[in-house]
Amino acid sequence: MNGEELTEQETALYDRQIRVWGADAQRRLSKSHILVYGMKGTVAEFCKNIVLAGVGSVTLVDDREVTEEALSANFLILPDENLYHGKTLAEVCCDSLKEFNPMVHVSVEKGDISTFGVEFFGKFDAVVISCCSLAKKKLINQKRQKLPKRVAFYMVDCRGCCGEIFVDLKDYKYSKKKLEETVECQLEFPSFEDTISVPWKALPKRVSKLYFAMRVIEQFEDAEGRNPGETSIADLPGVLKLRKELCETNSVNESQIPDALLERLLIGTSEYPPVCAIIGGILGQEVIKAISGKGDPLKNFFFFDAMDGKGLIEDISEPKPVS
Amino acid sequence: MKELNDGKPRKIKSVRPYSFTLEEDTTNFGTYVKGGIVTQVKQPRVLNFKPLRAALKDPGDFLLSDFSKFDRPPLLHIAFQALDRFICEIGRFPVARSEEDAQKFISIAGNINECLGEGGVEDINPKLLTHFAFGARAVLNPMAAMFGGIVGQEVVKACSGKFHPLFQISVFGSKLQKNLEDAKVFIVGSGALGCEFLKNVALMGVSCGSQGKLTITDDDVIEKSNLSRQFLFRDWNIGQAKSTVAASAAVSINPQLKIEALQNRVGPETEFVFNDDFWENLTVVINALDNVDARLYVDQRCLYFQKPLLESGTLGAKCNTQMVIPHLTENYGASRDPPEKQAPMCTVHSFPHNIDHCLTWARSEFEGLLEKTPAEVNAYLSNPSEYATAMRNAADAQAKDNLERILQCLEQEKCETFQDCVTWARLRFEDYFVNRVKQLTFTFPEDATTSTGAPFWSAPKRFPRPLQFSTTDPSHLQFIMAASILRAETFGIPVPDWVKNTKMLAKAVEKVIVPDFQPKEGVKIETIETDERATSLSTGSVDDAAVINELLFKLERCRNNLPSGFRMKPIQFEKDDDTNYHMDLIAGLANMRARNYSIPEVDKLKAKFIAGRIIPAIATSTAMATGLVCLELYKVLDGAHKVEDYRNTFANLALPLFSMAEPVPPKVMKHRDMSWTVWDRWILRGNPTVRELIQWLKDKGLNAYSISYGSCLLFNNVFPRHKERLDKKVVDVAREIAKEDLPPYRSHLDVVVACEDDEDNDINIPQISIYYR
Repeated sequence: MNGEELTEQETALYDRQIRVWGADAQRRLSKSHILVYGMKGTVAEFCKNIVLAGVGSVTLVDDREVTEEALSANFLILPDENLYHGKTLAEVCCDSLKEFNPMVHVSVEKGDISTFGVEFFGKFDAVVISCCSLAKKKLINQKRQKLPKRVAFYMVDCRGCCGEIFVDLKDYKYSKKKLEETVECQLEFPSFEDTISVPWKALPKRVSKLYFAMRVIEQFEDAEGRNPGETSIADLPGVLKLRKELCETNSVNESQIPDALLERLLIGTSEYPPVCAIIGGILGQEVIKAISGKGDPLKNFFFFDAMDGKGLIEDISEPKPVS
Repeated sequence: MKELNDGKPRKIKSVRPYSFTLEEDTTNFGTYVKGGIVTQVKQPRVLNFKPLRAALKDPGDFLLSDFSKFDRPPLLHIAFQALDRFICEIGRFPVARSEEDAQKFISIAGNINECLGEGGVEDINPKLLTHFAFGARAVLNPMAAMFGGIVGQEVVKACSGKFHPLFQISVFGSKLQKNLEDAKVFIVGSGALGCEFLKNVALMGVSCGSQGKLTITDDDVIEKSNLSRQFLFRDWNIGQAKSTVAASAAVSINPQLKIEALQNRVGPETEFVFNDDFWENLTVVINALDNVDARLYVDQRCLYFQKPLLESGTLGAKCNTQMVIPHLTENYGASRDPPEKQAPMCTVHSFPHNIDHCLTWARSEFEGLLEKTPAEVNAYLSNPSEYATAMRNAADAQAKDNLERILQCLEQEKCETFQDCVTWARLRFEDYFVNRVKQLTFTFPEDATTSTGAPFWSAPKRFPRPLQFSTTDPSHLQFIMAASILRAETFGIPVPDWVKNTKMLAKAVEKVIVPDFQPKEGVKIETIETDERATSLSTGSVDDAAVINELLFKLERCRNNLPSGFRMKPIQFEKDDDTNYHMDLIAGLANMRARNYSIPEVDKLKAKFIAGRIIPAIATSTAMATGLVCLELYKVLDGAHKVEDYRNTFANLALPLFSMAEPVPPKVMKHRDMSWTVWDRWILRGNPTVRELIQWLKDKGLNAYSISYGSCLLFNNVFPRHKERLDKKVVDVAREIAKEDLPPYRSHLDVVVACEDDEDNDINIPQISIYYR
């Protein structure tokens, strides 16, 4: 076991969780650096979870102002104007998160994340983004792909009662240590761009309908130049038109993406606190797994819909030719 | 067969309760002599993720599954494929209850199964598939599954934040949002789950209306190890009441929240706080508890007052949720996990074979030495004459035992200086790890045999060897240090600084004169699991009485030598304070004992885990469990949902696995043309007599033979003198027997009646509410 021992203070605070993942994993956690972009309710839940878990540092990026909407599902922002007036979302959340665990270094990075250089992302072990346009998702994912070091990439979004997590760990090696033996495991993750360009026809029929619906909305917002979540029911005709086009190019039946689901996603611009807790819990655990190198990660999409209460893991990747 | 002693893992087969076969050629091995202990080792497994297409052909492990279908995954896997093909070919789902569609469906499934060749199942079970086809529509229609159509739109509105609690009060047109706001919610517990619940309900706007009220209760205070997941608490809150701190944090998230924080444990002793009025006014109860007993109690209350109970729990990365809805689902207590295994007492006392046994023993010794005995000493010293009378009256082995321990503590082992404490610790070491082992191996030598001639020391028993105390062994000195410090604490002796200096401590220990030990003949040691102790304890004898008098006399003499007002300080085991030496002593006791029996030792962290019965916990699974419960809370508060709308969940974030199941409906009891469940209650008005109650049941074909009220037996037909109660009013008998007044606001009492039908079969009938005014 290399590296320094956990301090007495750490052992006391993290006692109950060290019993879940061990002192070694806790040590790795406390040396990890996480970049978070897009401070919505789900991300707030996620941040709470990893700050409590005791990661080394969390860097928040979000220059938007605090709006009433932002207040709604984000418990890091207390509804007191004196506390948030004149501050960015990232700054307000940073203040709250610091209180959760003084041992974690929480800070704010100002500026437009799209302009940050490749080497900036290289400072982190995991990057978590939310509320990004399609172009921004691709861009950040690419920058991260260029790094020689493996930086775990996560994308999370909640629309109303639906939530989605995308995971890209590049070539992820993790060891499973049980008693005397250590088993090396390896998984290959496709990039975000490669994932979403897998022809729909090539996917198994029972892939979650949410996958397709989220891609339609994503492309719609991109084509219309909207910010993520800036949709309403008035956009339905446009979205249905786009669905038709996409389904034709991909030669799949339009019934794969039900109208009702698209409607729900269009009007679901706010988040739903219980869904935030669920998705934020799962995402938190995934990031902890990737950093500690313990446990099988989810590959590579997770969908949750409160309507049917189902949580589905989908592996969306180009089927490998049988060799 | 010394070849097997290399400690390498080996594959085994044909596992039976008492035997297994090695998958190895042992013909060249030496001959088997005796003994040998085998430990089960789980081998790690490499997981290969398959693309879904390949997975469809060969499902491998089922990762995502509905609990209700866990029993037959491979068959259901085929069924789902068949259903897909059916829909492709016919263009629709099989019609519910259509035999024709079901037959077609079964033949498709048969074809698929044949195509799978060896990967298929032996029997495609047409009966199950028929049910599957009948129910295909319902199973696969998610809209029907969760919100039952009713909320559909309502919830979408709620999700869309159209009426966010914080700033859109005017738009609360919806019934659901109003229900949320006016809900009277009781959250039991304010730990990890409680904190997450409070945050969620505050954000959801639950109990934020003028009629709304949220009550949270927890009798615990905040400690350091809570902070890693109970995120409403801060460092400076350590020592404060959990519920109060959590409630004020929740109000800062949503100032509209109407919340009251209490510090009462929920249980029979606090029914004056959580009285009938309190329970009757509740809309829903959310359990955020950490133990089964409290859960069962709340379950009983909810069952009685017919309140929905949302139950959840976590263990490490696992979490589960269970919905208990009046009349729709079974109650929490209806299905129980098997009780935790406990090692037999003789194993713990004399024949430990793993570290758990050593730790259990260490904890019980800790309690005996530092908590029970000092408490017993204090009981005697605070009122010697009353204590003496009680002991003389009891006059049993237990009383004798107590007095012996008190006398030992105040006479032979009395400590006045810290050096006395060191001496005590050193002698305890000798007793525990040397003398007792010598005695045990004297009574049962290594070659001892049982009455059947088999070697006595055969697995799982391990043959112990005494330790040799040495001041150069750091673990020996640590034991002495922890034991002497704690001993000093019980006697109120200041602990000198030199105790932490190894050399000084070693010097102090070397001063101790350790008497030689000679094993005794005829010492009885329990070897099988019979509770001989209990029987010998209950039989008092003339000898005991004499001995007790003798002991009391000696004690009286001791007491006169004590400074006036002398009391000991009992120590309660506290696992979480790393500076109190409690865990050091327990780990020391357990590890020295493990050394006696050649059992691998553990570090302090692991020792604390086992001895402190610590439940591993992390923030992520807690957050998720509460999110899932709060989704169900919407349905409860919306009202009028069917059982199939609700979901119980089991998730394991480490795998990851996420599965849900419909709650189990309550068991329906039937008798003649009547049926009822655990949720039903029968009502009998008009202040009946016992005879009238029995006749009322007789008219239903039920022969009542026993009537009870709480823990009081009101009537049983085997007791002749109960006959005179027949013509008394039930309520008067209850008053008389229970010797308590019924609350003035209550107009009924609930009795439990045991009945048989005419064929003498016991019939479990509902509680009967008897109205007497």
